Amino acid sequence: MAEVMIAMQDLKKKYGSAGEEVYALRGVTLDIDKGESVAVMGHSGSGKSTLLSIIGSLNPPSSGTIEIDGINIYALSQEKRADFRREYLGFVFQQFQLIPYLTAIENVMLPLTTANRSNKQKREMAEQVLCRVGLAGKMNRLPNALSGGEQERVAIARAIVNAPPVILADEPTGNLDTKTGEEIMALFRKLNEDGLTILMVTHNPDNTRFMGRTIVLKDGLLCTDKAEILQLAAASRGKR
Amino acid sequence: MSLWQIALNNLNRRRTKMLFLMLGLMVGVATVVGLLTIVLAMRLELGDRIDEFGANIVIVPRSEGATLNYGGIHVPGVAFNVQRLTEADLPQIDTIEERPAINIISPKIVGSVETGGQRVMLVGVETKREFTQKPWFSLQEQAGLAPGEKTGSLALLDIPTDGLVLGSSAAQALRVRAGEELALNGRPFQVFGILSQTGGREDGLLYANLPVVQQLLGRPGEFSMIEISAYCNFCPVEEIAAQLAAVLPNARVMPLRQAALFREETIDRFESFGFALSGVILLVAALMVLTTMLSSVSERTREIGIFRAIGFRRAHVMKIIFLEAGMVSFLGGIFGYLLGSISAQLAGPFLVQIDLAQVTGMPLRTDLILPAVLLSMLLAVAASAYPALKAAKLDPAEALRFI
Repeated sequence: MAEVMIAMQDLKKKYGSAGEEVYALRGVTLDIDKGESVAVMGHSGSGKSTLLSIIGSLNPPSSGTIEIDGINIYALSQEKRADFRREYLGFVFQQFQLIPYLTAIENVMLPLTTANRSNKQKREMAEQVLCRVGLAGKMNRLPNALSGGEQERVAIARAIVNAPPVILADEPTGNLDTKTGEEIMALFRKLNEDGLTILMVTHNPDNTRFMGRTIVLKDGLLCTDKAEILQLAAASRGKR
Repeated sequence: MSLWQIALNNLNRRRTKMLFLMLGLMVGVATVVGLLTIVLAMRLELGDRIDEFGANIVIVPRSEGATLNYGGIHVPGVAFNVQRLTEADLPQIDTIEERPAINIISPKIVGSVETGGQRVMLVGVETKREFTQKPWFSLQEQAGLAPGEKTGSLALLDIPTDGLVLGSSAAQALRVRAGEELALNGRPFQVFGILSQTGGREDGLLYANLPVVQQLLGRPGEFSMIEISAYCNFCPVEEIAAQLAAVLPNARVMPLRQAALFREETIDRFESFGFALSGVILLVAALMVLTTMLSSVSERTREIGIFRAIGFRRAHVMKIIFLEAGMVSFLGGIFGYLLGSISAQLAGPFLVQIDLAQVTGMPLRTDLILPAVLLSMLLAVAASAYPALKAAKLDPAEALRFI
């Protein structure tokens, strides 16, 4: 039986003051096993990004619990949660979110900034992951000198440099053309094959074939209706 | 990658803004350094000028019993166990360690003489030393002047051996004018000059050459007191007095507290003004740092969100802000010190009519470098505290627009 990496129990998230509350999540219960890759789909406003931010320990839920590798992340202090993110989570943000004044390798070294390692060791680790994502020859370029796909690879390298067990990706192919998007998804599949647990928010149903499982959020809840899922897939294709 | 490199990279990226910030700190520190340098130089020069204005140490013979009173100082008169203060004591003054601090030594003898059936107080002085020590004395009448000719400076005039200088009240009481003759204890003197009114006890005194008065009073080589003007910028007057007391066991050496206090009060007021002005300027510099760093933090909301999301603690984010402020302020302090010192050298002679190199003995006050840099850095770090805290408290989820 597979070990559970991420265990969510009745997660709810509401915004606004009493009387004017808006529920982004209405009670999500979900387990993600170690080494699993999961695509999260849904319409805009379905709660995908909120779910990702909660799992990413950036956004405490209004109620419910979430454990990652057996650790109740929101029982930790803010500073301990920062340490947790550094060790357990790798983020691939929407629109890359690279630091524009740092080179590719410097961006990748960012999560290692506070690590107790020499600069030489940090650099070696960053070089290794950049090679792994296929950017060996472009380490010293600034982000604006890289293509969209290359920037995405840098973002992925940054997410994995600390060898976290979990990768959280928010629309990683949203700004890329089809071919480049498929290359990036192939990279994610490779990382998953290497043992990483991947949770990816995506609008693109084509991306789901690279992932082991797809879940759909609708109005803050997990959608189990197949018809709804198919309709969503068709609507997404239509937009593309 | 280190926090230092992140801070340095950000400074490099926002070069223009950080340059203006550095300039602001530089001007603030330069103003403080320049002001302090000028105020310190004024302190030295003013101190010297005040020290030259009158005596600040009085030496009188050690005695017991009743004494005469002269200008508030006890003068040996009818007493017992009276020690003598003589010309042999003068060379002893030259042996003290702080002799270079002594400007004027003015021995004098004081006694009562008879003239025209009245008793008057006659003071025998070395006239040039005495009147240099007391520059507030001036002549309202001088013998031998042509009509319309102005009286000379007392400190520079050669008063004849038998010359007399009278206080204004004494001249009135004795009904004499400059150029007339006056007999003291039967010996004739010429009234060389009459002093302008001072409002003090000196108005009632007569002054003549020291050796003549010693002879007249039958006390050759003897002094009633020695008044000393000492420079006290680098050595307190009490220390000089203590050294004199050690070499003059036959005398009482008294620092004049009032003179010392007046000196200190006057100089302290200059310093207080300097500090107050510096404080205002530093406050403005601090506000500049605060607004610039706040603006920088606002511009970097997303970047800070990324830092927090990938595992930077709040303390790491704050450290980046403080490192940036620290690096800019370090340079601001160094350049501010240089600008302030050079400006003081150039502006000092115009602003306060002093040559700083003369007063301080060196072109740059190297003792102000470290304080200037520390001041700049402390100011910048303190002013950056709120922006750093604001940056650290940024919600990464909101910063990255997850919500």
